[in-house]
Amino acid sequence: MRILRRWRHPASWSIFRLDDRLLLILIAVIVGTCSGLAAVVLNRSLIAMFEWLHHFRHYWWSFIIPAIGAALSALFLDKIVKEGAGHGVPEVIYSVSRYGGLMRFRSSFSRLISSCLTIGSGGSAGPEAPVVMSGAAIGSNIAKFFSLNDRQRVTIVGCGAAGAISSIFNAPIAGMVFSMEVILGEWKAANIVSIAIASVAGTEISRILQGNQIAFSHRLFHVGHLDIVACIGLAIIAAAASILLTRFLRSMHGVSKKAPFPIWVRAAAGGCAVGIIGIFLPIVLGEGYHPLRTMIEGAYAQGIGIVTVAIFAKILATSFTLGWGGSGGIFAPCLVIGSLAGLTYHRGLILLWPSVSWVNEGCFALLGMAGLISGMLQAPLTGIFLIVEITGSYEVILPLIIVSIISTTLCHYIEPASFYLKELVEKGQLLRQGTDGSVLSDLSVQELLEKDCITVKQNMLLRNFIDIIKQSHRNYFPVEDEKTGHFLGIIHLDDIRPYLFNPLMYDAVVLGQIMDTNVEVVYLDDDLSEVLRKMDANRVFSMPVIADKKFIGMISKATLLDKYRKELMVQTDL
Amino acid sequence: MHTQLFHIFRNTPLGRETLLQSIYFCKKAGSSLIIYIPEFTKFLMYFENDVVQIDLDNSYLTSPETALKHAKELFDQGKIKASFLEPKNFTASTLPDISTNFDFMCCPRSISDLSSKIGLGYIGPRVRRIVNSARFPVLITSPVFKKWRSIAVFFGGSANAVNALKLGFRISKASKIPLNVFTHAENTSKESYEEMIKNENLTEEMDRYVTEWHMFESGKFEENLYDVPHDALVVLGAYGHSLIRSILFGGKMEKIQSIITNNLLIAGPNYALTR
Repeated sequence: MRILRRWRHPASWSIFRLDDRLLLILIAVIVGTCSGLAAVVLNRSLIAMFEWLHHFRHYWWSFIIPAIGAALSALFLDKIVKEGAGHGVPEVIYSVSRYGGLMRFRSSFSRLISSCLTIGSGGSAGPEAPVVMSGAAIGSNIAKFFSLNDRQRVTIVGCGAAGAISSIFNAPIAGMVFSMEVILGEWKAANIVSIAIASVAGTEISRILQGNQIAFSHRLFHVGHLDIVACIGLAIIAAAASILLTRFLRSMHGVSKKAPFPIWVRAAAGGCAVGIIGIFLPIVLGEGYHPLRTMIEGAYAQGIGIVTVAIFAKILATSFTLGWGGSGGIFAPCLVIGSLAGLTYHRGLILLWPSVSWVNEGCFALLGMAGLISGMLQAPLTGIFLIVEITGSYEVILPLIIVSIISTTLCHYIEPASFYLKELVEKGQLLRQGTDGSVLSDLSVQELLEKDCITVKQNMLLRNFIDIIKQSHRNYFPVEDEKTGHFLGIIHLDDIRPYLFNPLMYDAVVLGQIMDTNVEVVYLDDDLSEVLRKMDANRVFSMPVIADKKFIGMISKATLLDKYRKELMVQTDL
Repeated sequence: MHTQLFHIFRNTPLGRETLLQSIYFCKKAGSSLIIYIPEFTKFLMYFENDVVQIDLDNSYLTSPETALKHAKELFDQGKIKASFLEPKNFTASTLPDISTNFDFMCCPRSISDLSSKIGLGYIGPRVRRIVNSARFPVLITSPVFKKWRSIAVFFGGSANAVNALKLGFRISKASKIPLNVFTHAENTSKESYEEMIKNENLTEEMDRYVTEWHMFESGKFEENLYDVPHDALVVLGAYGHSLIRSILFGGKMEKIQSIITNNLLIAGPNYALTR
């Protein structure tokens, strides 16, 4: 029976507690495999749905297919799994930064189904963010099963995200880098080992089940010096497109929220708009990987005018899909918009300087993709490694770095927070591990209460108070109402100094006369950052804590520093 | 020590009864009342090693324009101060995070299912998750407001039961209400239980707070439950046994909650006595 009892707490099994790093590695393999499988399942489902719906695309009414898909997706999320719409990556980052990576079990499958409905029906979105959420939730729940601590759970959530990205793109390094750069926001050796293993597991699962294919194969590019210089212009265009997409997505979301309709009606309206755009420009439909391949091969036949219009159409379609309640991510739309931007730029260069021998337009399509990804996510390394891996084109590494870095820098200058982080930053909810905000948010006023203060009544004589001072080792004495016990004010030793050496005053002064009633107080649910701000503003080191109008303790900077250090050590050590 | 009870207000007659129970508990236990009037039908509670999404029954959003007024009327009548909780953090725009930093939480038997399901023997899945994950005990109220005039602690000797006993002492100390201990001896002698109490250094508290220790050495557990006063607050531990044993034999908590109609104060496996 004792063995059975321990079944509930696998974390206590001695085999798992031999070495914490070994445990993390073992869990990373499991999580990487599961999240890799989730990615393969979504990929296969999308292919099946595309093939099934392909026969209906030629009918005049085909524009309602994305509407039906988006409506079903919104209904599924809202009524069945009861989750919000969107791509989910900010939710993962929020949970990592605020709650040690705790995520609901339902998140491990909800976005897979909803994004399959949205994207498979033709919505302009990508499957990558949903699999990131799914992988992260799988990691979180496995970590929960093994009763891992917050730091370890965060690492395993990162493993889930890495495994998912690695699997869906067959790109292990991009998965690792994405997880560290975007999800965790920190680079630590202890994290890298587990995340690398999860990436390998995720990639291997994808290779076993789908074959070892490079997503976007191409011919060899010979990048010249002029091409590298020209990349600067492409980076600027990519940054502009990133900003435009970010703002469109957010404004669409704002407009949609104001519409007085249920979420599924709004999603259907957005899907309908995408369907109508898709009749004229089919490139906007779905994840868009097929036209992407054509563009990278340099075989995209449309002229510069159509390609330029397609950039705006894709931005609009993505905003309609995601802003109005559809489910999916922005990775794939970024790749499509980026490659269109690259093509436009290349064709513009040829128009302006027809005699120059520019590299093939497929190369600029690749660079545009990196520019968009780096700009939107403000994660240059993710952009660089993703493009290198999904195209297998190391020869474009130099212009790739230039485009990614410039695009990230420009976007950061105009929009200080990336698309994923913008909302969290605005609400003050982005608390990366080991930062001041994160440490303070993990501590509460309750934890810092100093309860060794002696309270006194307002009618107490100074003589009696002096006896109390002898017993106390503190300088503050809260004063309470005799009848109600309510907090009235505070007496600091300095306040009574003028009376201490005048024994005549001992029986003449009561504490109610000398207490300080103009005292800033702290409540139990106050944020510590706010408490510190009050202390600094009032130039005090201690403040009374009040609950239900009664004094319950003091909070001081000394105790805060002590707990702060301990919490910082917990957050920064594995 | 200052304690807080968290209550989710349902603006219906059933919700009124539940709030009356919370107000009574707060008055007796000297706790302050924190009321949450939900604006959405779902919210998240992040515990130490679990996150629970509470999908509220739609009746929680009944007549939102009168909810505040109704809640205020009740605690004004009860002459108790209460504060309203405004969620500060949101996981998604319609998914607020509710703090779990309380000392008690009050729930009816179900908060996610239709209230028509509420009856003896039924505790909703969300309420179970909260009991299982929370560091605070959960007050599961009877459908109709009933004052309790004694405290009945079920003590079976497990670690959870010891926690429940300590919780009973705590409530008895704060409320000055007599405490009775009920033990169904299962092949264990009274001396063994007394030894357990001694080993936990609780002998002094037993002498101070416990009015009577009812030791049932014969008869079925279900039948012996008739001796529990109808107007007692029943304090018990839950989910302290292994998963296998719980599946095969069921927990004592399940038997108790399916037989008696009293208010239950349940301490789950993560209940911490440090606060």
